[in-house]
Amino acid sequence: MKTCLLVLMLVLLVAPRPDAAAETVRAFRVIVHPKNPRTKLDRRFISDVFLKKRTRWGDDSLVTPVDLGPKSSVRAAFSSDVLDRSVAAVRRYWTQLVFSGRGVPPAELATDADVVKYVSSHVGAIGYVSTSTDVTGTKVIVLE
Amino acid sequence: MRLGLVAACALVSLTSAAVPARAEGDEDDGSALQVHAFVSQGAAVTTDNNYLTSTERGSFELTEAGINFSKALNDRLRVGIQLFTRDLGPIGNYTARVDWAFLDYRWKDWLGLRAGRVKLPFGLYNDSSDIDAAHPVVLLPQSIYPATNREALLAQTGAELYGFKPLGTRGALEYRLFAGTIHVDLDETTMTQIDRLEIPYVVGGRVMWETPVEGLRLGGSAIAARLESDLRLPTEVAPITLALGIRMWIASLEYVTGPITFATEYSRWTSRLETNDPRFPRRHTTDTRAYWLAAYRFSPLVQAAGYYSIYYPDLDNREGRESRLHDAAATLRFDLNPHWLLKIEGHALRGTATLNPALNDNMAPGGLANRWWLLVAKTTVYF
Repeated sequence: MKTCLLVLMLVLLVAPRPDAAAETVRAFRVIVHPKNPRTKLDRRFISDVFLKKRTRWGDDSLVTPVDLGPKSSVRAAFSSDVLDRSVAAVRRYWTQLVFSGRGVPPAELATDADVVKYVSSHVGAIGYVSTSTDVTGTKVIVLE
Repeated sequence: MRLGLVAACALVSLTSAAVPARAEGDEDDGSALQVHAFVSQGAAVTTDNNYLTSTERGSFELTEAGINFSKALNDRLRVGIQLFTRDLGPIGNYTARVDWAFLDYRWKDWLGLRAGRVKLPFGLYNDSSDIDAAHPVVLLPQSIYPATNREALLAQTGAELYGFKPLGTRGALEYRLFAGTIHVDLDETTMTQIDRLEIPYVVGGRVMWETPVEGLRLGGSAIAARLESDLRLPTEVAPITLALGIRMWIASLEYVTGPITFATEYSRWTSRLETNDPRFPRRHTTDTRAYWLAAYRFSPLVQAAGYYSIYYPDLDNREGRESRLHDAAATLRFDLNPHWLLKIEGHALRGTATLNPALNDNMAPGGLANRWWLLVAKTTVYF
């Protein structure tokens, strides 16, 4: 009995969690520059980009991700849904990389409007904003 | 060292010149000068045995500070340097040294090159083992990340190839291969009878597989090195020359999901000792090391963690207190704000392996207390 319970707990622990988007509407939209030819992006690709494991678009041009500040609820939703970890865990990830010299985190911008302004003026940029933000000058990406 | 500091000052001067323009300029596109720093202060006390420092009477000799500067010179080339100082009992004494300093050319995501003084990737946490803010615990499992070996095991001077390769539905691979030498500053060791200590080569690598299970990483690391030393015994006039061939490997597993972190690692380090003195026969020793760590974040403010760590310095001899160190630790971490944290940690220890006789009235580890407790607290400010 104990063994069965243990196995059940392990299965629950390692089982892939259901996509939050399947249950609720996302609290954010991912945006890129209008000249970016992509209309869809894989969630894992976006995660790798924001953790700077991948730094290039498919045409070898530089990807420039931009974050919102650590207290932003939109960032919390993005971190949980796309990066699959809390903002605190993401900050610890960057602490490891910053102090071992292996990288620096994406720039943090103060407001959704700042993110829209940045993405609309940098061809390689990618960011996320709340669903209520006016994203004129950018292109909204579909998450796969 | 002096050369390193001069280089550091030069780099800081050069890069600082760019700061005002960046500060006045547009949004950050990632090319601005980055400056980050941390300062940690700890305190430790043990019921028996002096551990790392003079802990039986209580000690505040647990201090670390570092500052780094890095700058992207273009979209593939980055340069950086970190200065570090610490005081850990007899080690460090606030001497500033170059922790890492290198040029980083990331040609593609799957292939980059770092050249200079580069941190050693070994296991999950070796290259971040001195960064308090990056870990839920104060002392990482000392079986695999010994604080006293930091100078010898943390960084090498040479080159490193690295990369990241997505594997589609099979996850991704992250890999690093390196070769170089290690300069060991005798001030950074607890061994007082050594005239010369050199590591002419160190080679190795690490491969981590990010599995399709979100948050699950599996990996392996290996290091081979040669250590040469002149050891002066109190009864001898001429020093004994010894050479030590070292082979280390480690298997790693880490699973992070939501507020839960679980990590476990198993490692063996093999050494082959040769000397020019026939009284000391060739010696071949394999030790074994492992730990299991779990952490849970209750809220942005509080995280709890615990681990069990084992260390046997000789795989073939596990008898006696000096032949083992078992360490059960429990930690509470409080993130008081995004740049300030406090940790409190208790350890229940069994065994005396790794205890330094020089800190314990020159008593052999076999004569020290077998069961003992350690309480340690540490606070860190970082940005």
